[in-house]
Amino acid sequence: MPKLIIDDITVEVAEGTTLLEAAQSVDIPIPHFCWHPALGRAGACRVCAVKLLDGPVKGIQMSCMLPAQEGMVVSTTDPEAVAMRRHVIEWLMINHPHDCPVCDEGGECQLQDYTIAGGHGIRRYSGKKRTHVNQYLGPYIEHEMNRCIQCYRCVRYYQEYAGGTDFGVMGSAGRVYFGRFQEGQLESPFSGNLVDICPTGVFTDKTARFRARYWDYDMAPSVCPGCSLGCNTTPVARYRELLKTVARRNDAVNGWFICDRGRFANSAVNAPLRPRHAVVDSRESCVEDALDTLLLRIHALGELHGPGSIAVVGSSRMAQEAAELLPQLALRIAAGALCYRTTRKESTETSSFVELVHTGSSASQQDVRKSDCIVVYGCDPLNEAPMMAMAIRQAWRSGATVYVIEHKITLPCEFTLRATLDDVPLAEAERPVIICNLSAETDQLDKLLEGHSRLKIAPLFPAANSFGTALLMREHGAISLEEALADGEIKGIISIEADIPAALLGKIPFVAALDWQATATVQAAQIVIPTTAWVEMNGSYINYEGRAQHFSKVMNPGVPVKGLDPAGHPPHIHRSTATGGEALPARQLLARLIKLLDDGNRGLS
Amino acid sequence: MSYDPIDITLIGAKIALVFFVILTLAAYLVFAERKVLAWIQDRKGPNRVGPFGLLQPLADLIKLLTKEDFRPIGADKWLFYLAPAMAAIPAIMIFAVIPFGAPLTVFGHSVELQISDLNVGLLLFLALSSIAVYGVALGGWASNSKYALLGSIRGLAQLISYELSMGLSLVPVVMLARSFRLSDIVAAQSGCWFIVYQPLAFIIFLISIAAECKRIPFDLPEAEGELVAGFHTEYSGMRFGLFFVGEYINIIVLGGLAATFFLGGWHGPWLPPVIWFSGKVLAFAFLFIWMRGTLPRLRYDQLMHFGWKILTPLALVNILVTGWWLVLRG
Amino acid sequence: MKIFSDMTALMTGMWITWKHIFRRPVTIQYPEQRRQPYPRYRARIVLTRDPEGGERCVACQLCSAACPVDCISMQPAEGDGGRRYAEWFRINFARCIFCGLCAEACPTLAIQMTPDYEICTRDIMNLIYEKEDLLIDGCGKSADYNFYRHAGIAVTQPRGNGAEELPPVDVRGLMP
Ligand code: SF4
Ligand code: SF4
Ligand code: SF4
Ligand code: SF4
Repeated sequence: MPKLIIDDITVEVAEGTTLLEAAQSVDIPIPHFCWHPALGRAGACRVCAVKLLDGPVKGIQMSCMLPAQEGMVVSTTDPEAVAMRRHVIEWLMINHPHDCPVCDEGGECQLQDYTIAGGHGIRRYSGKKRTHVNQYLGPYIEHEMNRCIQCYRCVRYYQEYAGGTDFGVMGSAGRVYFGRFQEGQLESPFSGNLVDICPTGVFTDKTARFRARYWDYDMAPSVCPGCSLGCNTTPVARYRELLKTVARRNDAVNGWFICDRGRFANSAVNAPLRPRHAVVDSRESCVEDALDTLLLRIHALGELHGPGSIAVVGSSRMAQEAAELLPQLALRIAAGALCYRTTRKESTETSSFVELVHTGSSASQQDVRKSDCIVVYGCDPLNEAPMMAMAIRQAWRSGATVYVIEHKITLPCEFTLRATLDDVPLAEAERPVIICNLSAETDQLDKLLEGHSRLKIAPLFPAANSFGTALLMREHGAISLEEALADGEIKGIISIEADIPAALLGKIPFVAALDWQATATVQAAQIVIPTTAWVEMNGSYINYEGRAQHFSKVMNPGVPVKGLDPAGHPPHIHRSTATGGEALPARQLLARLIKLLDDGNRGLS
Repeated sequence: MSYDPIDITLIGAKIALVFFVILTLAAYLVFAERKVLAWIQDRKGPNRVGPFGLLQPLADLIKLLTKEDFRPIGADKWLFYLAPAMAAIPAIMIFAVIPFGAPLTVFGHSVELQISDLNVGLLLFLALSSIAVYGVALGGWASNSKYALLGSIRGLAQLISYELSMGLSLVPVVMLARSFRLSDIVAAQSGCWFIVYQPLAFIIFLISIAAECKRIPFDLPEAEGELVAGFHTEYSGMRFGLFFVGEYINIIVLGGLAATFFLGGWHGPWLPPVIWFSGKVLAFAFLFIWMRGTLPRLRYDQLMHFGWKILTPLALVNILVTGWWLVLRG
Repeated sequence: MKIFSDMTALMTGMWITWKHIFRRPVTIQYPEQRRQPYPRYRARIVLTRDPEGGERCVACQLCSAACPVDCISMQPAEGDGGRRYAEWFRINFARCIFCGLCAEACPTLAIQMTPDYEICTRDIMNLIYEKEDLLIDGCGKSADYNFYRHAGIAVTQPRGNGAEELPPVDVRGLMP
């Protein structure tokens, strides 16, 4: 444990820690471009210079390259170090174009920040700037090579961290070029992280191209709804339009990155077809009236077909808060069935897995990254939960063996094929993890877990809140909609953010849908009440390992300004709610419904 | 006392005349104040309504009358409506005892240019000016507003404190004139104005009346920089107008009293007495405006210190000295 | 003695204000007499064009960020040839305090202030100026500046042909 002094503060850090991290641990910021906590060091940018006044090494040194040693006396504010950093910045700026105003990175750009902080305001060099030709890198990522400062973060991330092979560095000296050998879409399913990792505006999010600036963003900590991993994100919105999503660091879950599926997921929220108004029998209505009508219809249906003729159907994509209210609603209206899944298969699978996962047995993404023996059993992480594949690669990079049980998949790392689970030498491993999905045999896993105390499993569920709703299914004895409809008793369905196949809906005379997406159920429903998307409300999801994660409201619901008429500019009208802004979180609608029922008025006495 | 119909008519005419003159004068005093302040500040002042802006008071009147009459939630309705009247009416009533000219002879009747020549005129003035305090007190209290309340508390303390020095500064005048009757006091000055005998009393009286009509540098109850508008913060329209006009009536009345007590009332050579009296009143009004254009507001502790520790003792000493002097002279 | 100095102070003040009563007022009778403001006067804001007639504003949002009263709003968009421009641009003159910080922040010299200060109106909504109200046909001040000539991105000229630029690097070239 070397002990050193940085700017008169005594720091004790673990062996092998760099000076840069040692300084960060006591909140002394040192500018850096090439160093990144997830990628480590490269010593490429030279901007983290500090001066060592005493100890084993002396003079100007790169703090990201030098491990902390006993007795070092470091100054980050020494005039020589400050001048060095200022000159490095000036020199990095020699070729940098004069285009911040038209750069999407502007405002959230590390280069801008350090240039200003370094005091380099006026260009002294009067020579010409080198330029590059850009490449088309697919519909998601914009390339503007002139802005590059050769920090090598992108290629280190893309090739080493994410295992991509179609992107790299070309050329030499002042002409190095970061791109693909041939123009074309980036192949890695994690390519979107280039946007976050590049400290300048070389890679920017094309889906949010020229939409807003950092200081105008509506942002809040959120959770990705893309799969059951629950990666942490920060969605970014402006004028009620979801612009983009960036990764939010959470070392226990996704680390620093997210996958492209989670990142480029704006379109559903911005979809012009989203239900924005309550609809009763194809006529636009208001939420109050729609709730009233819904109660009347429930009542009428009960009179007509006797009690138990209504099914309350939720789904695995609803927030836990709303899911918790479904049993209460079912109780109040004496529903014939409470469902969170549509097919019988889904229903049985999920409930059996909930039993299996508990604190001792579930592997977080961090556990996977730290594991030394990973078994991919019957699932395809790259497609089912991409960041899990990324975690597997990190484990592999630090020496873990990856086994795949006879299954045709690709992974961003090398792996060994094995015929069955029993062929894997689990007993020899220190921290083994089995990654599976719900098609796995729970009995077999159960036995393995009992046999190996250190073994952990990571079952990939199909949707963001599969786990949370599965818990409720077990608690309230919920069945699948398929089973509920089997005996033909159900005459009405109240669907809350559920995707019900048309085949199941066909014979049902009454359907009410509370949803924020224009699903088939919404199309078929007589009563539609809009709910809010996850970025428009507070709520939580429980991920595959049973980790409940809260997401916060990013933006107000309503038609984006972009989609308003007249197209030119926003209208000159004052109003307290935005057009189509009356959508409420499903939990609030359910709570209101329950309250109306409890109050016993509105024709349901 | 006989009630001759002509006497009664004459008294009625005098009252009507006084009312008309005072109200018009007050309105134009507002105008004059705005003009003089503007000149002091190198501006032009109101000059848009009518020739030289002379119809400005009329425009202001119309504006005040057509403004919304507003009462804050929780305000005490009756007291709230009563307060502006309490501020304006006692001020105008004081004028009943002020002689504003030498007696005239009309249709063989000798007419005093004074509405009522009470033998305790001076005491009536002191009594009425104490009642005017209620306007401030009630207005601030009834408004249900912290600014108004603070303003009225300040106002009460200030008015009561300075009333004391004002009353005491008048004692030597009474001693010299040997009467509380204002016409006697005026008559006693036909030779030499009391300001010559009593310069100190005059200065104390002048300062005290500035404080009594809440004028700068003694405008702490309103103190727009601190209390929005002090005790009348919550008043709008003509109710605010009453407070406002009350202040200017006060200036006229107190100016008239100062002239009566110290500057020989309507006495003066060559010009008719009424002109002399009006000229003196207007001079006082100008002095007040001029002071407003010059002096900054006192701090509250300075105000109290000045009133109780300087003015009141000085006035007492002055009484003592006057008494000795009168005794020595016989 | 203190009282004498105090009295002198009071009298001096009264004397000064007395003298001012007879000074000439500095007031200008506005609608009849008008002051001609200097060209640098900060009043009604305009959006100017570059010498080639293109819109100068690139909707970089620096002006809206600099504005202390947040009265500028806009929506950037991508136009022909990758040109960044303002899809709509709105200044709420009912809020603007004419501080000029927006014009100071503008990197393209698009937003400029003019001496036209007479923009009062009875309907406050008329003070919300849209892009069509703001955009003028001329260049205003700094008539010869065109941001895109210096920006290093290919909008008004091919890459590598702007001022102070070298031709694009051939990445496949083998020369050291
Ligand atoms: S493209 Fe970005 S991340 Fe890559 S080297 Fe250049 S500046 Fe660094
Ligand atoms: S792995 Fe899943 S949770 Fe994570 S970012 Fe991708 S889709 Fe979202
Ligand atoms: S002049 Fe000042 S207040 Fe007006 S728009 Fe510009 S920055 Fe905003
Ligand atoms: S600062 Fe200039 S270029 Fe940028 S948005 Fe404002 S007017 Fe347009």
